[in-house]
Amino acid sequence: MHVKPNHTFEPKIVAFVCTWCTYAGADLAGTARLQYPANTRVVKFPCTGRIDPVFILRAFQKGADGVLVSGCHPGDCHYMAGNFHARRRFAAFRALLDFIGVDLQRLQFSWVSAAEGGKWVEVATELTERVRALGPMREFKELEAQEQWSGAIDSPELQEAYEAVGNI
Amino acid sequence: MNTTAQQLDTTAIAPAVYATITDAICREAEKALESGAVAAVVGWQAGRRQGTAMPAIVTTPADTDKLIFSPACVNNLALYLSKAKKEIRARGKIAIVVKGCDLKALVGLMGENQLKRADIHVIGVVCPGVRGTSEPLAKKCRECTVHTPEGADVTVGTLPELPHFTPAESEELARLEAMTPAERWSFWKEHFARCIRCYACRQVCPFCYCEQCLCDRNRPQAVETTPRPAGNMAWHIVRAMHLAGRCAGCAECERACPMDIPLNLLNRKMAKELKELYGHEAGFEVKEKGPLAEYRENDDQSFIK
Repeated sequence: MHVKPNHTFEPKIVAFVCTWCTYAGADLAGTARLQYPANTRVVKFPCTGRIDPVFILRAFQKGADGVLVSGCHPGDCHYMAGNFHARRRFAAFRALLDFIGVDLQRLQFSWVSAAEGGKWVEVATELTERVRALGPMREFKELEAQEQWSGAIDSPELQEAYEAVGNI
Repeated sequence: MNTTAQQLDTTAIAPAVYATITDAICREAEKALESGAVAAVVGWQAGRRQGTAMPAIVTTPADTDKLIFSPACVNNLALYLSKAKKEIRARGKIAIVVKGCDLKALVGLMGENQLKRADIHVIGVVCPGVRGTSEPLAKKCRECTVHTPEGADVTVGTLPELPHFTPAESEELARLEAMTPAERWSFWKEHFARCIRCYACRQVCPFCYCEQCLCDRNRPQAVETTPRPAGNMAWHIVRAMHLAGRCAGCAECERACPMDIPLNLLNRKMAKELKELYGHEAGFEVKEKGPLAEYRENDDQSFIK
């Protein structure tokens, strides 16, 4: 008989990375066969300067439990100043998210160069474990669920649907 | 809301002040139009109902006597000079009547190359305060630091002695900041849930002059456009983010909001945050770049691993 496995929470981490440094760094981690949790979905951008705060919001809304934004170290930007601009933008965005009431522990910024495969592993692991301990990001999902499900995320009908799928 | 707020009727403190300012505005407008220096004057005129005012664009010297200044002159006229209102700018040099907060918005537009100082004639008004939507004195006026606009071509009026007000909005901001993140989340969730996405806040903002708004695009869609809780939250976060470091604090968004969402709290918070981080504040001095358009190599990066 088929036994439904007991699902445990696996965090979904979306990583927005710049193609010149962090993507290459993550690639290096791969070619060096360094192990890190498979929870990270990497999205490649030309530069951290291209990463709009809307992307981070969108990731949370669409089910990410944690978001990692990573680019070149200051001074190493392929486009000279992209990461400097991004740094200010993200400092402001963090303040805004905090003011709205989002737990900032779910949002990590880092500088990882193309040579730092080890650091990539470290950052990705740390964020994954932290988010795992925090549990699922419910706030944005609840908003998403509202009106579609005429109720809260723990409404019986929704629970039923979740159980039918066997995963949350 | 501070229920013990002083019951101050702005008309009661200084009706004469408003009358003299009205006179001076009419004179200045007439002078400017007669000499042919400007093609039009953007100011306020009396509304249809008693005690209201609405924006007016005057093009002939004879019409200038309909311009007024009263506690009902809340509109930020800088809106009419933004790129979104090309037809007004196309008339030629324009004179504009501004309060201190409106002048800050005008200066911000100049900093963003939306407007050249030489193309406008600024009639500054020394403003003792204007009416709020439900209270006798607007919240922003309770902690106004720019009663006297600086750098206008002419400044009319003198500031009467004003009583000391409790800064209602700063107090509310402090109260929110002292909350836990979860409490703040439910505060904003409740407020944003009411949003009907009429975009009045955007239409009335002088800094929202983009030809196409990111939030109107649907392919790809960045922000959901239906008034559902998720899209509302995203819209207001995006709006606050886009105004961060630019907002002049005229609080027009909050005034125009039909659902009474305290939008200026967000703007005030971002302004405060950017001042702390980068020492930038909206003022009367035209700055080439806003805080998010420039950078320093030694900016704080303690939050980055």
